[in-house]
This record gives sequence, C-alpha cells and structure tokens, in this order.
Amino acid sequence: MIPSDHFVRFYNEVFKFLDGRNALEPYYREISRHQELHCLDLFRRERLKGVLKYYERIRIEENCGMELVSLPDRVILRMTRCPSLSKVLDGDAEPCPRYCDHCGGWEVPLLTKCGIYYIGNMISRTEPRCDIVYTESREVARQVYRELIDAGTPPDLIDTNLDDWEKVEKSKPAR
Amino acid sequence: MLRYQENDELHRDFHGTTDTTLNYIAEHFGVEALKTILRKTGRDVYKSIREKLARGDASELVEHLNWFFFREQGKYRLTVNGDEIVFEVMECPAIRHLRKLGLEPSPYVCLQTSEVNAGMCEGTPWTSEVEVLGEGRCVQTFRRKENAK
Repeated sequence: MIPSDHFVRFYNEVFKFLDGRNALEPYYREISRHQELHCLDLFRRERLKGVLKYYERIRIEENCGMELVSLPDRVILRMTRCPSLSKVLDGDAEPCPRYCDHCGGWEVPLLTKCGIYYIGNMISRTEPRCDIVYTESREVARQVYRELIDAGTPPDLIDTNLDDWEKVEKSKPAR
Repeated sequence: MLRYQENDELHRDFHGTTDTTLNYIAEHFGVEALKTILRKTGRDVYKSIREKLARGDASELVEHLNWFFFREQGKYRLTVNGDEIVFEVMECPAIRHLRKLGLEPSPYVCLQTSEVNAGMCEGTPWTSEVEVLGEGRCVQTFRRKENAK
C-alpha cells in the first residue's frame, strides 16, 4: 500500500512519466472525472458555498496553510503552504517541473461542468503557494484575469476556464 | 528514523486517486509501464529505506510498515526475526477506504505493494515477496539473501 500520506510522491512519479510522453492532459481529465465523486453534486447544488465546504475539509485533512475568503461574488483560496508541492520538494525523488499544473488540470474541467469560473495563479512552480479565485460571474473572472496580466503574471502560470465561457454559462443551473 | 515524518491529519480519499491512476496507466500504457513507475517510486521516493537496506539496516523499513499501517488503522502483525521481516495484513486500510467510497479496488491494487517493495529492495541484499490471501489480506515478506549474510 502506498500510504495516503505519500500519494503525492507517487503522483509526482506518474507526472514525470506522462510529461515525458506529452500525455499529462488526458490523465488530468481522468482525475477530474474521478474527483466528480467528491465534488460534482456538492458544487452543482451549493455553488460557491460547496467549493468553500470542500476546501474547508481539504485544508484540515491535507494540512494546508490556506486562507479561504468568501465574498458575495467569489471565493478566494490563498494557499500559503501547499502540502502537496512541499512534500515533493522535500522528497528524495526529483520533482516534476510541471507538478503544479495538476490542480488546474483536474479542477478546470470539473468546474466548467458546474458553471463556475476558475482563475488560478500558480505564482511559481517551485514555491508551494498559489492564489485561486472561484466565481459564477464571467465579468469578475475577466477582471481577475486582467489584473493578473496587468501585474505582469506570465500567462503560462495562469489556469482558467475563461476560454470555455460558453460551456461554463450553459452549465449554470436555471434560476 | 523515518525520512518522511507524517503526524498530522490524513486525507484517505487519496487511495481513490491512487486506484484511478493504477487503472489509467495500465489501460493506456500497459502493465509493464505501471510496474516501472511503481518500482521507481519504491527506489527513488524511499531512497533512505533502500540505502539503509543496502547497509544491512532494516530499521526504517520496519518503522515505515508499522507507522503507516498503524496511522491508517490497518489490522496487521509485524514480525521481525533477524534476516526476515514478515508483515501480515489482515485488513488493508486502502481497500477498506475504497469500499467505503463505493469504488471497486483496481486489479492492480496489490501490484502497488509488490512493486514498491521490490523498488525499496533494488540493489540491496534484500528481496521481497507478496502473497495475496484475499481482498485486503496479504503477507509481505522481506528476506536478506543467503549469500549476503
């Protein structure tokens, strides 16, 4: 058994194998489908409150340094100490250079199905911290994205489903 | 002493992600590719255990088996007898959690154990074997090779 404590170390080995074959994206989509078990109904039913509820649990169970800010039009997740990348950086195996990409990799397809926008700023792929904004408003999502670009954030450090805005809008529940 | 100290909360749902990954790699890249990744995990991630085994010191391996199964509330018996370590698992916590989530354990769920264990032993005087007795039950044996004594 790979202990659940060490899953991310195995994940890192899987990423390196797949990255060498340019095959990370389809794997992220598979993980995203798996994560629907934990998130899809919750996010569809409770919207941003569901996102908040899920990450409250993750903050505790994964021992994150995490600030969650709930505003009327968005949830802001500030990862101040990502336990996942921290373990990989502290390991004896070499870290996958694209380790951080897996978060957006599974979250973006899932949130798109739920009608929620995701704007993730990785900040740096070698520092265990990031900022993510979740919102149901396309305008808020565009504003957050613009602010990141205006602040000089390299686009390859930003993950978002803004390009798929039509799918996001279609996935919103009827009001 | 363990190289990776883990004492805080547990996120057991990672067993579900491991299970999905085992199936995905085997189905898309073949079982040999999966074995390669698992073996490399054993060899590189657990470098500290492997290097100690190479020096004839099995203490970290024993501590690793005991601590992580204890932490995940597995049912097991660990017997250390000189050059043989026998780890009998009566209830695997990973499989128990998969069932709790309503997931079918991957056909490769025990391969993760046999290959990771083999990776830990690679290039050392130790060998490993896993005898699967039924769902969630196995005997993992680590033995110091005769000619290394």
